[in-house]
Amino acid sequence: MLNKIWAGLIILGIVFALGQDINDEIHNTHQNGVAQIFDYSTITPTDSSITLIVNQHKLNAVIKNPQRIQIQLDEKSPQYLKTLATLNGNDFLLNAIIVSKASHQLKILLPELHWQKLRAITQAAFDMAEFAVKLAIGLIGIMALWLGLMQIAEKSGLIKYMVKAVQPLLCWLFPNIPKDHPAFGSISLNMAANILGLGNAATPLGIKAMQQLQELNSNKNKASDEMCMFLALNTSSVQLLPPVTLIALMGTQVSELIIPIILATSCSTITAVMVAKFYARRSQPSQGV
Amino acid sequence: MQQLSSLIIPLLILFIISYGLLKNVSVYEEFIEGAKDGFGIAVNIIPYLVTMLFAIAIFRASGALDLVLILFSPLANFLGFPAEVIPMGIIRPLTGSGSVGVLAELINTHGEDSIIVKIAAVMFGSTETTLYVLAIYFGAVKIKNTAYAVQAGLMADFAGFVAAILVTVWYFS
Repeated sequence: MLNKIWAGLIILGIVFALGQDINDEIHNTHQNGVAQIFDYSTITPTDSSITLIVNQHKLNAVIKNPQRIQIQLDEKSPQYLKTLATLNGNDFLLNAIIVSKASHQLKILLPELHWQKLRAITQAAFDMAEFAVKLAIGLIGIMALWLGLMQIAEKSGLIKYMVKAVQPLLCWLFPNIPKDHPAFGSISLNMAANILGLGNAATPLGIKAMQQLQELNSNKNKASDEMCMFLALNTSSVQLLPPVTLIALMGTQVSELIIPIILATSCSTITAVMVAKFYARRSQPSQGV
Repeated sequence: MQQLSSLIIPLLILFIISYGLLKNVSVYEEFIEGAKDGFGIAVNIIPYLVTMLFAIAIFRASGALDLVLILFSPLANFLGFPAEVIPMGIIRPLTGSGSVGVLAELINTHGEDSIIVKIAAVMFGSTETTLYVLAIYFGAVKIKNTAYAVQAGLMADFAGFVAAILVTVWYFS
């Protein structure tokens, strides 16, 4: 399943991008090789720096020689010019060819743009690969902090008390975890963090729980029923408080969404438990063999 | 409720450490002992995260999501809910930042009071970034064969998606 989804994302993405690019090539959407006419104004007639007007944006440009113009871009410049500049090596400088020059109008030929979507996805793939590492590195500190606290809680016997308290609740969901195992402690802490919307505490605690479940796992290369159940619970996000990002985006509007969110998240959590239970039951006989 | 979550972490830290002291645990040493694992886990996660995120990045950058919107619009119209929320349902299990982008765009075009934004926000709030959680959690224990975890996670997302539409439409009518 995961193999198909993963391959599907890549194949669908590339094929779709290729299709769009071929369409662009056929219809020449980017106006490759077509000279465009722009208005311009100069400060002094002899001056080589001019102000070029492109789609109502005023852009500074320098006429380098009778055939070449260099356009300076900034954050607010039209997107297609920025894309062109980036693809040609400099984010904020775009070189173009002057075809003809009248007193207030300039006919210029912008660099050609081919296979834009394919280039974009290539860039996105590389950027994301880099970002994934940054993301993981960023986790080191927060992981270390929570794992340190967990260690103290374990040594002081705090987890043991917690396990006793939550065990009856959790043993239906996780029937194969032995009685009094510390995994119950991490699982319940992870869930508490999820419920309270504490995302950056939930992840380290969840990872700790996964490690303990892995210790109990008979086949170290394959996810156990317990792991699948735990993951399903986490992805369906049992929560009472809306995530911080939603509050940031929606402001005070969030308060009237709390009840719908709780109802919807309950549906997804119940589904997660039922699906995980269904698969666990189905895989049971084959495990015995 | 909002204040509760800002209080809970400092209080929890205070409680764990003072309880440890009370039980004669050498808290400083034990903290380091536990913290040591942080680095190894993060490093384990890297290949899993790269594998998952680059595929999602390709899908997102290709604009294939727009295609999905076009394909599913007739179905949405037939069932009587706004088709604009479909990209949210698809992007939500894939990427957190992507779904924030989709939601921000919907707020921009339709306004916070529109039913479209409300449905999308409930979708955002009621499910998690399934594939990201999967990569991190299984990456930490180096498991590649995820058995039926994806099915369970995605089915839950789908249920959340349907529930978000039904509940929101019912709640605000």
